[in-house]
Amino acid sequence: MKITPTMETTPMHSRAVVLILAMMITTWAGGAAAGDVYVICSAGVALKSDEVRNVFLGEQGFAGPIKLFPADNSAAQADFLEKVLKLDPNKYAGIWTKKSFRDGTNPPPVKGSDAEAIAYVKQTPGACTYVSSAPAGVAVVAKF
Amino acid sequence: MFNQLSLFARSFALGVLLGAVSLPAAAADSQADELAQLKMQLNQSVEMIRALAARVHELEAKQGREAAGSATAAAAAPAPQAPPATPVDAQRLDSVEQKVNQIETDNATRHGDDTGLPMHGFADIGVGTHNPFFPGSKGFDLDNLDFYLTPRLGGKFLALFELNFEVDREGSVGVDIERGQLGYQFSDEATLWIGRFHTPYGFVNTALHHGIWINDALRRPQFLMFEDQGGILPAHTVGAWLTGAKRGDGGKVLYDVYIGNGQQIIDGEIDMRSAGNDHGKPIYGGRAGYQWTAGAAEGLTLGVHAFDSKIDDNQVPQGMTEVRVYGGYAVYDTDRWEHMAEVYFFDNLDTYPNTGGHHSKAYYAQFGYRAPWIIPYVRYERTLLDQTDQFFNQQATGMSYYRTAAGLRYDFNLKTAFKFEVAKTHYTDRIVGQFNEVLADVAIRF
Repeated sequence: MKITPTMETTPMHSRAVVLILAMMITTWAGGAAAGDVYVICSAGVALKSDEVRNVFLGEQGFAGPIKLFPADNSAAQADFLEKVLKLDPNKYAGIWTKKSFRDGTNPPPVKGSDAEAIAYVKQTPGACTYVSSAPAGVAVVAKF
Repeated sequence: MFNQLSLFARSFALGVLLGAVSLPAAAADSQADELAQLKMQLNQSVEMIRALAARVHELEAKQGREAAGSATAAAAAPAPQAPPATPVDAQRLDSVEQKVNQIETDNATRHGDDTGLPMHGFADIGVGTHNPFFPGSKGFDLDNLDFYLTPRLGGKFLALFELNFEVDREGSVGVDIERGQLGYQFSDEATLWIGRFHTPYGFVNTALHHGIWINDALRRPQFLMFEDQGGILPAHTVGAWLTGAKRGDGGKVLYDVYIGNGQQIIDGEIDMRSAGNDHGKPIYGGRAGYQWTAGAAEGLTLGVHAFDSKIDDNQVPQGMTEVRVYGGYAVYDTDRWEHMAEVYFFDNLDTYPNTGGHHSKAYYAQFGYRAPWIIPYVRYERTLLDQTDQFFNQQATGMSYYRTAAGLRYDFNLKTAFKFEVAKTHYTDRIVGQFNEVLADVAIRF
């Protein structure tokens, strides 16, 4: 169905319409609620949602035969720590300090945005990270 | 102004109309691609709005703090026009800001790790009525400057190097590669390391390493100290080590097996023979345990360990002992508690000169409580070492003793800790005597 506006159109009209459309479409389409975290992994990585915590705490380094390379995403890290790991940043950093010193493993590198995190997953076999909105072109292994 | 409001009202009405009529209809027709594209663009806009809103919150919080500071400095100044934030909002904003700051601080360090050579370390300086490692010395002590490097090699390869600048009992500074390991991860169940590693017996030897900061207590039990600090066990091995964990429901099975150069007692101190030994005989051993990761016993680890090593000395004539050790350990490590206990039984065989078998034992138990701002602990440790066993007789610190200790840890911040310990030690055989210690230490990580 095509709607043809009958009233006079101005730049202000357009902005208002677009804004309202944005709000309504987002709601109507079931867009991401605030604070949702999407865990994404590169192609071929089969990871269960209950394994995500182990991966990001360095307790699990493999998904089947595939070596995993988790990365943090500072754009969504606060929500991830709160909702998935249930840790505060201090505790998370402390765990990795001990883990690294004891086991010789490194903490996940940090990506600065959803776009950077998605690019990392697309380019790195075995990569896993998380983003704040539903991404396109990569596999979402868990949503929290 | 009225015209603008009117326009807005008409736009809103149009929006409602579009939302109510045109969108469901559009979803039903074949313009799904356009809709998806529009949705994506609008999602991006929403993200931008969220980011801007967060920035506005941040600026408002900052402005609020500056206003509060100005008000303190000039009490006579009138109150600002901005509406006052409610206590709940202010608390929430402070909490969010604190979390973001913590994340930014931690991440700033880890961004630097992308260079391929992450380097971190520990250091500590103490003071006491006795040196915590060399009781014959008193006063201030410069303990360790300990660097550990974990270069990113890519794929399944691992590396760990721990370089320690430490002060010996004479006060001289020495540099040691405490750990130099190259590893390959076959799976979560199997990682093979070669090089120099901390011999996997008990708990503390592979959990606490050389960084004082990482230990809640001010020091390890005396008999589990490193070789050059008075320990009586071969804390380092140069060889190969296979380790891993098999996860199951509610817990995981841990294991270690290793083989390396048999050690040598040189001038009263065990040396791990990093360049190889002259008799070619090995140390070999293993450790197995189970760690509960869920349920009522979460945080509990129980395990057993054993090793056999041919350890000679640099005396004339040269002695050789087959050191046979077995025992167990228990650890309860949670957010609230840190308890640990280990026991070691020695069933040594002095092969040259042949004085037969000798039996000794050593054990300790430590209990700690992780209160929100302080960690108090108590520890009891005891050794009963056969002084006719040349393995102990040749060691400068191979005498029997028992010690009671109590201490606390206070963390100034994430990376700086203050530790305090009082202890009473009794020597019971080679020398008989006792001494009290009051120790303090500031330990950092970086």
